[in-house]
Amino acid sequence: MLLGYSLTPFGHDPDAWTKARDRRRLGFDALLDQVAAAEAAGFDFVLLADRLGVRPVDDLSSVAVPFEPTLLASALATRADRIGIVAAASTAQHEPYNLARRFASLDLVSKGRAGWLVVPDDGDAGRGNEYVDVVTALWDSFEDDAFIYDKAAGRFFDPSKMHVAHHQGAYLAVRGPLNVNRSPQGRPVLAHLLEEGDDALAARTGELLLLQADTVEGLVAIAARMIRSVEAAGRRRSDVRLVANIVPVVAESEQALGEDGRILPIAGIQMDGTPEMIADRLQELATATDLEGFTILPPSLEMGQRFLGDVVPELGRRGLIGSRRQETLRDRLGLAQPVHPAASGKEVSA
Amino acid sequence: MSERHMKLGAFLMAGGHHIAAWRHPDAHAPAGSDIDHFIAVARIAERGKFDMIFIEDAAAIRERNPDLASQAARSTAFEPLSLLAAIAVNTSHVGLVATASTSYTEPYGLARSFAALDQLSGGRAGWNLVTSASELEAENFASSGLRPHSQRYERAEEFADAALALWDGVEDGTYFPAGGETFADHSKLHPVHWHGKHFAVDGILESQRSPQGRPIMVQAGASDVGKDLAARTADVVFAASQTKAEAQAYYADVKLRLGKYGRGQDDLKVMPGISPIVGATEEEAKAKYRALQEFIPDAVGVALLASYLSVQDLSAYPLDGPLPEMPQTNLIQSRQQLIVDLGKREGLSIRELARHFAGARGHWQVVGTPSQVADAMEERFLDGAADGFNVMAPLFPSGLEDFVTLVVPELQRRGVFRKEYEGRTLRRNLGVASPSKG
Ligand SMILES: Cc1cc2nc3c(=O)[nH]c(=O)nc-3n(C[C@H](O)[C@H](O)[C@H](O)COP(=O)(O)O)c2cc1C
Repeated sequence: MLLGYSLTPFGHDPDAWTKARDRRRLGFDALLDQVAAAEAAGFDFVLLADRLGVRPVDDLSSVAVPFEPTLLASALATRADRIGIVAAASTAQHEPYNLARRFASLDLVSKGRAGWLVVPDDGDAGRGNEYVDVVTALWDSFEDDAFIYDKAAGRFFDPSKMHVAHHQGAYLAVRGPLNVNRSPQGRPVLAHLLEEGDDALAARTGELLLLQADTVEGLVAIAARMIRSVEAAGRRRSDVRLVANIVPVVAESEQALGEDGRILPIAGIQMDGTPEMIADRLQELATATDLEGFTILPPSLEMGQRFLGDVVPELGRRGLIGSRRQETLRDRLGLAQPVHPAASGKEVSA
Repeated sequence: MSERHMKLGAFLMAGGHHIAAWRHPDAHAPAGSDIDHFIAVARIAERGKFDMIFIEDAAAIRERNPDLASQAARSTAFEPLSLLAAIAVNTSHVGLVATASTSYTEPYGLARSFAALDQLSGGRAGWNLVTSASELEAENFASSGLRPHSQRYERAEEFADAALALWDGVEDGTYFPAGGETFADHSKLHPVHWHGKHFAVDGILESQRSPQGRPIMVQAGASDVGKDLAARTADVVFAASQTKAEAQAYYADVKLRLGKYGRGQDDLKVMPGISPIVGATEEEAKAKYRALQEFIPDAVGVALLASYLSVQDLSAYPLDGPLPEMPQTNLIQSRQQLIVDLGKREGLSIRELARHFAGARGHWQVVGTPSQVADAMEERFLDGAADGFNVMAPLFPSGLEDFVTLVVPELQRRGVFRKEYEGRTLRRNLGVASPSKG
């Protein structure tokens, strides 16, 4: 079972800060502590969701991480050395060349553990499509074995293995090549968040598909729809990983069950129960819905700790969590290393 | 203590500033994409009590011809902010200055990124504002070609003001106001409503206020508009000059402009580049220099020279002849002038100029013993040519290691450089004024 951890300073519950009135929780060290705990528990990735690209106009949110996510990711990558790091970035807020560089750099800093949560433009699906293709083409600027570092011959890289995109499209014009080395995992992993609505871009380009629904029925419907869309886009089910958002409310004991009983205003399936009950439900849900795993949105830091401390060991006892030694995020997710288009005889262009 | 201390920046670059550094037998050729290498080098700078490390940038490959590009380590690099964010949480005192362009980014995204670097480092971030003069960069951004110099600076002026406004949008103590029932104190938020000629920005940064008030502003303008922008907005200027007279003229010129903007002489530090090649003896230093010069392929050296002269190609001219007359350029006029002057002054052929230039791209090179290097620096520091230096080691890590173990103690002995950091923020260590509290 794949596990992701969605990072916030206090928890996803908008009221969580009231129980932890401590400014230090907004700082890097406290965020790193959360990530390190998730890493130690065997989580596969941490998600930096960044309000999905919504910029604050006149208010600050207690559920937003107060750091630009790609840079926070880079800092975290040097201090947590196994967990994958998926950061949100909006196609409306970055030039594609700049975004491609950020993530290519992050992939080098993290030694192949980076993922981009694509937040596409609201308005225009055409631009979002073209944008992702341009970024992918820029990541393909160099083949896997382009950098030869031949001191004697004075060749830093093999020029026949560099590819200039020369992209001229309806929305974007980008020459290339990217001025960053080839990513250690070929390309950073492409993630999409899916609720309702248009899923064509995700079906065509997504690798890690984060499904968001408030009910099991809703989740079943989105998962089935995504699988159809992926296949309709000419890809295989095994080319993607489906992971659902879960809000765990872990009770200490059966007696304490339902003590709170609130429905939390968090997008994802809320699961109240003892560690055993939650493990049961996760297991059932994964089978019923054909999911590979879950992204945990802890409502509070305490709930996050309970999930790591009590639910994860229970999942482990059931043999659902392997001891993963893989180095790259792609390997952890069991996704194939992308084959460079030049190696399959294709022209690199977007 | 009223002693005046020089400021030092370590201008980092992959395996070294020398164009052929990566071919040196000691060089770690993949250094430019190795984060552990950069963290180690940054820690050497910190051990040497450097004010800052500095990362240059271009949002493009620097050479159009793939054959030439493939011979230069500079063809690929980390994106500077990603790199410095990683270094920030692995160092404690050294300042972190990243280059970013006003031509190919937007104020909100850029201000947010530097705010993040500033928080990650506890107040050690700086932004080297550049307007980007290369055609290759313009071609990566769909813009209809490179903007003329004056338009680039017009945009940069507005950009700088919008970024400053965003950084001032959040006061100290905004989060968890004392005794408050709210998460954030709205009276301490100052949303920006910027509607200018080039940008529209409505909003605030989701960040705490910088521990140093605002990130440090750095500039390297050499034109009139460039120097004016620096005099108005920068805390530090970098420059390239060969002779002491050139450096003094630049220094006096920039300092004179400060008055126009109501700023004091100490509010802006002028830090020209120096490429030191240090040896225990003069002969050893010279041997180190020769060992590097050996590895420069002529074609690569000449192409680098051509790119700084802002001409497409020099291959039509005899290598052993002088530089031809140069056309006026929209690109980097100052560096072109520096090269032309150097060629005339020392009677150098194209080949010789290219080989000379390949060491430090036109910056001042000093080859000698620790005391010779310290003498040279001290002289310019005391004679109104510099407030400090941007140190460009030819080879990393060894060139910086040499400087830190041999030259820094010599400067400290002479009382012209700090023995301990004054504080934890870059602003404090540079000793430049704090902005008002927003
Ligand atoms: C030490 C130093 C570092 C510089 N770094 C960069 C850089 O990283 N990227 C860039 O586009 N320009 C860089 N420049 C160029 C300057 O920003 C500036 O454009 C140039 O000196 C010409 O001045 P002008 O823009 O006023 O014409 C650098 C200049 C110097 C002296």
